[in-house]
Amino acid sequence: MEASKRLKISEDLESPEINSVDLSAEYALLQLRIFRINLAITAFAVVVSVLFVDLNAAISLLLGACSGILYFRLLAKSIGSLGKSSSSVSKVQLIVPVALVLVVAKLPELHLLPALVGFLLYKPSLIIQFLFEPYS
Amino acid sequence: MDSITTAASVVAAGLAVGLGAIGPGIGQGSAAQGAVEGIARQPEAEGKIRGTLLLSFAFMESLTIYGLVVALVLLFANPFAG
Repeated sequence: MEASKRLKISEDLESPEINSVDLSAEYALLQLRIFRINLAITAFAVVVSVLFVDLNAAISLLLGACSGILYFRLLAKSIGSLGKSSSSVSKVQLIVPVALVLVVAKLPELHLLPALVGFLLYKPSLIIQFLFEPYS
Repeated sequence: MDSITTAASVVAAGLAVGLGAIGPGIGQGSAAQGAVEGIARQPEAEGKIRGTLLLSFAFMESLTIYGLVVALVLLFANPFAG
């Protein structure tokens, strides 16, 4: 009886479905942590640019940051499906910076430089995440 | 914008995207190959491998984006247009 219970627990632990769910959850948690850090950095940058630059620059920065978050989400989704449902990383996410530059170039109220800075705000969040990542 | 500036801008935009995509393309292919091999060898480390791959892809692809932005600025918001 005891042996069969142990065998059942051991089978549960080695079940590929459970392991796969755990690994996906780990990757999803990583994305969530990066998203939170990105949101915090974006809020800080927007507040600083409203206070020290002007409102149009802050709006451009916010638009760029939203595009950066969308780009990063698409990239993470593409990497998440690598080796499972696709054998290569898709390039769909590159449409996001193209659309951002086109929108900013067409609207005279928006500025290009703050939008690009806002778009690249995902990089500091990645650096912060991987600097303070707990080593387990 | 005179015709020489227009022609030079279009050629420069093409070169910026084309040359800027070569290096990251090779790097991304090699990184993806390594990651998939690593996951196949050690499935229990999949989460960490994918996380590291995400970081490296984000940094590599930003080089492509720089070239793309330079090309788009040259085409749609050219600072040399008189």
